[in-house]
Amino acid sequence: MKHAQIKKLTYVAAAGTLVSVILMSLALVFPNPLLLVFAMSLGQGIGILSLALYLLAIALDLNIGGALVDNVDEQLQAVREDHVRK
Amino acid sequence: MIHSFQDLLKLGALAGAGVSVAIIVWYLAKRPPLGRLAKMLLFLGLGVFPTGVALMGNIAGFEFTKTRQFCGSCHVMGPYVRDAGDPASKSLASAHSRNKWFGHDSCYTCHADYGMFGAVATKVTGLSHLYHYVTEYAMTGPDGEGGKPLKLYKRQDLEKKKLTEAEFTKHVNGVCKQCHSTDDPMWIAAGAHEGVLDGLRGDKTACIDCHSDIHPTALHRRAKQARAEESKP
Repeated sequence: MKHAQIKKLTYVAAAGTLVSVILMSLALVFPNPLLLVFAMSLGQGIGILSLALYLLAIALDLNIGGALVDNVDEQLQAVREDHVRK
Repeated sequence: MIHSFQDLLKLGALAGAGVSVAIIVWYLAKRPPLGRLAKMLLFLGLGVFPTGVALMGNIAGFEFTKTRQFCGSCHVMGPYVRDAGDPASKSLASAHSRNKWFGHDSCYTCHADYGMFGAVATKVTGLSHLYHYVTEYAMTGPDGEGGKPLKLYKRQDLEKKKLTEAEFTKHVNGVCKQCHSTDDPMWIAAGAHEGVLDGLRGDKTACIDCHSDIHPTALHRRAKQARAEESKP
């Protein structure tokens, strides 16, 4: 699993949580039967799935050992090329 | 303004949601490297705060589902809820809805199952209410006049022979006896209670046999009322 894929996983988890939290908040502000049922089932389901995805991303990141940095693959490549040049 | 524990929970849930949204929007907009700080913030924004929102939201939502306002949000409940909220009405529903302790939750207080898992059973039944509402009553007129007459689930069970008459009586008396213990001397002396005391205590006589004017404006009673009006001289 590449760093870029792990970052994508984190973005998906963040977007999913955003949808879930908005759905739950809407049900609190405008409580009606359908919205409450959606928030308590679909909303919380998306939230749990998103948290699971985020924890998976963190576990994978720990597995490959390092902080996720933007363009890390390119940066690694640059370091390797620099090393070869030297 | 905070008037109840439910309001407090709602406020807490919305505050948690606000913090969570702020963290997520910051992350999605800035897209920072996932260092230790970003991971911790995301753990709060994706895990801790949304879990709090869900827990507090569930309790606040559950409390709201007990209110008369919530029951009245389905149009088929209109005649029942309007009568219950009418201060001039002499119906049993209206009299109980004027009670300051549970009047705002009067539908739930009388119609919820009252056993050990009564709240869960009631909410599962509520989900089936929602299903029937969407599939059978959605386009049935302002008060659901075009739909099937509404009946208590327990009465339906009685008609389908899933419940015996004795079980049905025990259930409906149990609802009344949550408050009316049948031991209060004033209650015993009132009306004709003394004469039917053994029957009521032993659930051989149903309270609603005499106190039948519970929801006089219910749709299934309108036809009978119209006939009664017509037959008046």
